[in-house]
Amino acid sequence: MPASPRDRQFLDPAVVARLGTLELKARTVVEGFISGLHRSPFKGFSVEFAEYRQYIHGDDLSTIDWKVFARSDRYYVKKFEEETNLDCQLMIDVSGSMAYGSRGITKFQYAACLAAALGYLMNRQHDGVGLTAFDERIVAALPPGRRPGHLRSLLITLDRLALGTRTNVSKPLHQLADSTNRRGMVVLISDLLDEPEAIVRGLKHFQHRGAEVLVFQVLDPDEIEFPFDRITRFEDLETNDEVMAVPELVRSHYLERMSGLIERYRRELGAAGIDYQLLSTSQPLEFALLAYLSTRSRTA
Amino acid sequence: MGLLSPLYLAGAAAAVVPIVLHLLKRQQEQRVRFAAVAFLKDAPVERTSRRRLREWLLLMLRVAALVLLALAFARPFFRPAAAAAAGTTVVALDTSFSMSAPGRFERAKELARDAIRNAARADDVAVVTFADQADVLVRPTADRGSALAAVDAARSGFGSTKYRAGVNAASALAAGRRAAIVIVTDLQENGWDAGEPASVSGETRVEVRDVGALPDNLAITALRVVDGRAVATVLNNSRQGRQVRGRLSLDGRPAAQATVSIGARESADMTFHDVLAAQGVVAVAIDDPQGLQADNVRYALVSGATRPGVLVVTATGDSSRDAFYLEHALAAGRAGDASQVTSVSASSLSASPPEQIRRHAVVVLLSTRGLEPRGREWLASYVAGGGGLLIAAGPDVDGEVIADVLGSDRRLGVTPALGRPGDEQAHAALTLAPADVRHPIFRAFGAEAASLGLVTFRTIARISGATCETLAKFTSGDAAILDCAAGDGRALIVGSDLNNRWNDFPLRASFVPFVHEAVRYLSAPGPRAAEYLVGDVPAGVAPVPGVVDEGGRRAVVNVDSRESEPARISADEFQAAVTRLKDASADGARISVSEQEGRQHLWQFLLVSMLVTLAVEGLIAARAA
Repeated sequence: MPASPRDRQFLDPAVVARLGTLELKARTVVEGFISGLHRSPFKGFSVEFAEYRQYIHGDDLSTIDWKVFARSDRYYVKKFEEETNLDCQLMIDVSGSMAYGSRGITKFQYAACLAAALGYLMNRQHDGVGLTAFDERIVAALPPGRRPGHLRSLLITLDRLALGTRTNVSKPLHQLADSTNRRGMVVLISDLLDEPEAIVRGLKHFQHRGAEVLVFQVLDPDEIEFPFDRITRFEDLETNDEVMAVPELVRSHYLERMSGLIERYRRELGAAGIDYQLLSTSQPLEFALLAYLSTRSRTA
Repeated sequence: MGLLSPLYLAGAAAAVVPIVLHLLKRQQEQRVRFAAVAFLKDAPVERTSRRRLREWLLLMLRVAALVLLALAFARPFFRPAAAAAAGTTVVALDTSFSMSAPGRFERAKELARDAIRNAARADDVAVVTFADQADVLVRPTADRGSALAAVDAARSGFGSTKYRAGVNAASALAAGRRAAIVIVTDLQENGWDAGEPASVSGETRVEVRDVGALPDNLAITALRVVDGRAVATVLNNSRQGRQVRGRLSLDGRPAAQATVSIGARESADMTFHDVLAAQGVVAVAIDDPQGLQADNVRYALVSGATRPGVLVVTATGDSSRDAFYLEHALAAGRAGDASQVTSVSASSLSASPPEQIRRHAVVVLLSTRGLEPRGREWLASYVAGGGGLLIAAGPDVDGEVIADVLGSDRRLGVTPALGRPGDEQAHAALTLAPADVRHPIFRAFGAEAASLGLVTFRTIARISGATCETLAKFTSGDAAILDCAAGDGRALIVGSDLNNRWNDFPLRASFVPFVHEAVRYLSAPGPRAAEYLVGDVPAGVAPVPGVVDEGGRRAVVNVDSRESEPARISADEFQAAVTRLKDASADGARISVSEQEGRQHLWQFLLVSMLVTLAVEGLIAARAA
């Protein structure tokens, strides 16, 4: 997925990946993103303050600020900070397949940066943010928290994550969904190279629990475009299976399978009301933040 | 399995090319650790194991194609199993009549049987008998019994020894094989004659099994009837002198007896007077129970048409000047042997009545100057009627006249040097050599035939005849003496003069016997070839001494008297006389294997196999693509 001229306004993920700590990476991404929002179409949509908004039909009457009405004779709705905050659980895939990377950054590194940036942003909005890392099982779990120190814990946890083995996305999803009691938001960051039906079923489980779900499918450009041209022995990162292939002979089949998978996620998740965002590791992380804020605004 | 062109096998080294390419290609293959391999597994691509198998299969097919191509160019063939593994022992048994002395041939057969029994176990054995010609009794076989039986059944004959025939026949049987030729013979010196040499493969081993020297023997080596007398020449090949009694029979009826004393290793004439036969077969026999039997009798044909003398045709008719040496040579010898010589000029010959010419046994033509056409006709008629003509192609002889006399259809050319400056050949020291010392005109010389080589010819004439036999050649390669048949008669043409003008022949001791033998040969009765040697009998005539009937006329067959001569050679000399042509043997073997390869055509099958291999390789490669 080639970067558009507009993409170049944002940080190259490969550059971000070379920054020192995850905290620095997250701050760099988020602060730049926030400063950019003033020039963005999302101008005026801020999460930093509770705003007064003119009443429109359908608003809860209890939210009308009568004092303002007394002074201005107009109806304004007052938004309270407690009502905008929510708990968000970041689920990051650390299976072996996430180790692939061709543009200076692996899918895992990209996912970690994205999770850190989201965590940083959420913490800045005073939303609760938690972290769950999994491959075929949950390998690390940090419950949501709002304290400033919680962000550090989250970043340390992210920093200590190591790549696991095989993928089994649905199992951790169901485990986490069963343990969630409070409505909130779930962000899944994975390459989703697993059984789509099981994954969709797991995500719907969160919906049933009242959570808003946002799915980031992180893929390397090579996985999307299959640019290989020489005869290649492909070795599976998780199973070590080998396939000898002449790329020009299998490209169309591969791309058909890959686009079919993406389209299936897009279609089935969309039908279930789950936000889905395909991310290439060559894309700036800010796109992911925009997608998050879009979903976040709907949740608020 | 053999290869006709083994060097082409080096081309199989090209098989390294696909192997190297295969290995290089393997090194170029990249490995990628990939996440979405599952999407490739069900793609229409082969798995690694299958691909490896196909690559190895393609590699083997390509290598096989190159090897098959190289093998096809090397032209392989299958050797016959027996020929490749085993050699051949060929036993060549001498059956000439010199082997016929009591117990002598049995000794030879025992030596032959020993050779068969002692042949290498893996070898085939073959049996050949030879005398004048060779006969293959048993071709190469592993069956020793049949070879021994063939030896047991062999009998000595009446032929003379010709080693060349036996060696060549044995060599032919051993062609293309490792071989040993065992010659069982009495090593007679006369067995090697002039002509094509006997040659064997360079790898062929020749062994000689000597039967031993001739025993004491008496032999009649010649018989002639002259002026009512029969003269038999008897050779005493014994260690002491012997008194020999001879019996003469005429047409099978005893007619006379004679006795002669002969010293050890000497010969003597036994004369039977008053034979006086108008015509018939004269046979002279002696008793020699311990020696060879075949040479104890000799036959001669007596014709009533015996002519009384020699007519010499010269330029002037003055024989004391034009034919001085010839006249004296003819007059030489014992009284009974001397010829009556009449001289006449060529110009006056046509004036003579033809009956006068026909009264002579031989006409010696020394000049054709002034010879009228009628004289030529009479001479032609004389020869066609059975007369003998001796022509000395000297300075006075015209080749065209000779052609008229002997018949132009004979394509006879006599070109005297004198008067033909362009044809003149002057040589400082030309000599002549007999081409066939067995011819009657050289018979009297015996082992001394080489003395003819002492004659120096300063000038010669070119003589040639399509139907003539060359009896002697000059050292320049030109014919020296021709024997030409014309009707029932014959003509001897000497390529120089006989009067001490172009050569010194008349001054040599060999001149007189040569003239006598030539006249005797030309004056022989009746149609020519009334006497044969056993080895020279025409087809249909049994090679057995005696009298034969050839379509209404009689002829006699005698053994070759040279076979009675005791001279021997050593086994080493025999070996030295056999030419071992290594190149020839290699060529012969190569021809043999080439013939085998040509019959089998394996290279065609290999090429077809290579094409099939390439087709299969193409199919597999296409499926992979």
